[in-house]
Amino acid sequence: MHPIIADARKLLWYVAAWLLAGVGIAALLRLTEQAEWTGALEFALPICLVWSFVTLSSYYVCRSLPYSQRRWSVALGLFGGASLLSALAWLGLGEAWNSLGRLVVHDRPLVAMTSAGWVMYFAAGFALYLLSLLAHDVLVAFETVQVAARREAESRVLARDAELQMLRTQINPHFLFNSLNSISALTGFDPAAAREMTVDLAQFFRRTLALAERERIALGEEVVLSEHFLAIEKRRFGARLQAELRISADAAQCLLPPMTLQPLLENAIKHGIRQVDGGGTIAVDALVRDGWLHISVVNPVGPDAAPASDHGVGLKNIRERLAVLYGARARIAWQRSETQFAIEINLPAETA
Amino acid sequence: MTPLTPLRALIVDDEDLARHLIREYLRGHADIEIVGECDNGLDAVRQIGALSPDLVFLDIQMPRLTGLEVLELTGRRTGVIFTTAYDEHAIKAFDLHAVDYLLKPFSKARFDDALARARTLHAPAVASVAQAPALDALVARRTAPLERILIRDREQVHVIAIDEVECIEAQGDYLAIHAGGKCHLKPQRISEIEEQLDATRFLRVHRSFIISLAYLQAIERPGPDRHAARLRSGKRVPISRSGYEKLRELV
Repeated sequence: MHPIIADARKLLWYVAAWLLAGVGIAALLRLTEQAEWTGALEFALPICLVWSFVTLSSYYVCRSLPYSQRRWSVALGLFGGASLLSALAWLGLGEAWNSLGRLVVHDRPLVAMTSAGWVMYFAAGFALYLLSLLAHDVLVAFETVQVAARREAESRVLARDAELQMLRTQINPHFLFNSLNSISALTGFDPAAAREMTVDLAQFFRRTLALAERERIALGEEVVLSEHFLAIEKRRFGARLQAELRISADAAQCLLPPMTLQPLLENAIKHGIRQVDGGGTIAVDALVRDGWLHISVVNPVGPDAAPASDHGVGLKNIRERLAVLYGARARIAWQRSETQFAIEINLPAETA
Repeated sequence: MTPLTPLRALIVDDEDLARHLIREYLRGHADIEIVGECDNGLDAVRQIGALSPDLVFLDIQMPRLTGLEVLELTGRRTGVIFTTAYDEHAIKAFDLHAVDYLLKPFSKARFDDALARARTLHAPAVASVAQAPALDALVARRTAPLERILIRDREQVHVIAIDEVECIEAQGDYLAIHAGGKCHLKPQRISEIEEQLDATRFLRVHRSFIISLAYLQAIERPGPDRHAARLRSGKRVPISRSGYEKLRELV
């Protein structure tokens, strides 16, 4: 909608300005002795009132020709043409109202315009529309700048949200504080183990931060990161946590988005191993077959484990990320039985 | 006022190293005797019942049952020192009810401080006044809606998923929980469980009945101005006038 029509106060000022212009035109008619004051006003004011709304159309003319994609010849032609057309219509309206005025108000025309007077009137119509075009052009340019600024601010906020989300998933506070607590306990009776765990923790976070910036990494790199993660968790859970990683050499070369495997292991521990009294083994297999990379993670689950649908937001996140990067070419599926949870990811096998 | 007999303590945490740390911190306190350790919530329920320790170091985030569920099942309201690494919900609730807790990793000084506080509270007369109401409120008013109902039957704990609950009926001091074709009894007030349930899934239709909307099949009119709900199992539940108003708004 036109910004002036949308705002009652603006509209009032705008119409008032046009009526003032009408008075100006009437004064001109009076000065050139083409009409009496009453006739001149009766002629000019209604026309200006009608025309004030007609000229609002220039907003759409300006919008049809955005500032950034404008060639001056085209702009000149369009603006000139539009002004000419509207001036013709303005002339028609003037003539019509003048004759109609004779029928309605008096028994004579409102103004006794000479040909020179009509020419002047026509020129005024042309100038008014052109003026309106130029004013609207400035308005549209201003609006465009405002919209662009707002859009940029919005996209900055979105980008920062995504980054924060990523950092939050990387640095799981529960994992961090529990690990620090374990280190604190180890310092009392096994300082060497405490030191090892500190190094594992540092390595894990350092690699996470480095990998997360890249769009895709080799599976082998993620496996190294995951091994640090598992070393830390094994200290926390002791013999209850066992892990078997079988990664074929060609699978290790394949590219995949960072933090695909590690969250699966985190889920397997949180929803699986931890809930089973005696613990168990997480089995990770990765291999390449017929141009596809297959990764599977299988872990035992407890009797009252959460249903697969709540298996953490992790799975949903991974599925969304894979969908963005691979579209329909990525497949992630999971199934849960009484005693175990299995998840499998299939991606096109691509190497750097 | 230090008691003459040593305080008997139980350590509950699923991580071996975390329990180890508490043992180490306790070594300096001659008046405390460690009577047991548990690595899951179910075991904690059993041991608290069997040993009735004076002091329980209780981790919040545990497999099987959480620390708060252990309190709910055992009815224990005094002599509890909570430990947690990170749990936004629990921490908010602790602060709200002014319950002390240890954030992992904690220092020896902070541990001693919590212990000193628990010790002054241990004098039985003080204990019931100081900690019990706060823990009562903590257990009763969880921030998140209930996902499962726990029922203790002597040495056993039954876990009922909230999706399976068809209706809940007040019977004296007990609740009869109808789920999966069975009926379980649990000592609790109906108003208390009403507060904990997800209000979009459960509705108190009568002074002594709460129904699951997922199991509601029809509303019947056995007489003028009288209504009853027919549930999926065929069970009929009376609906009070105000219950009927609420039900009409929802369905």
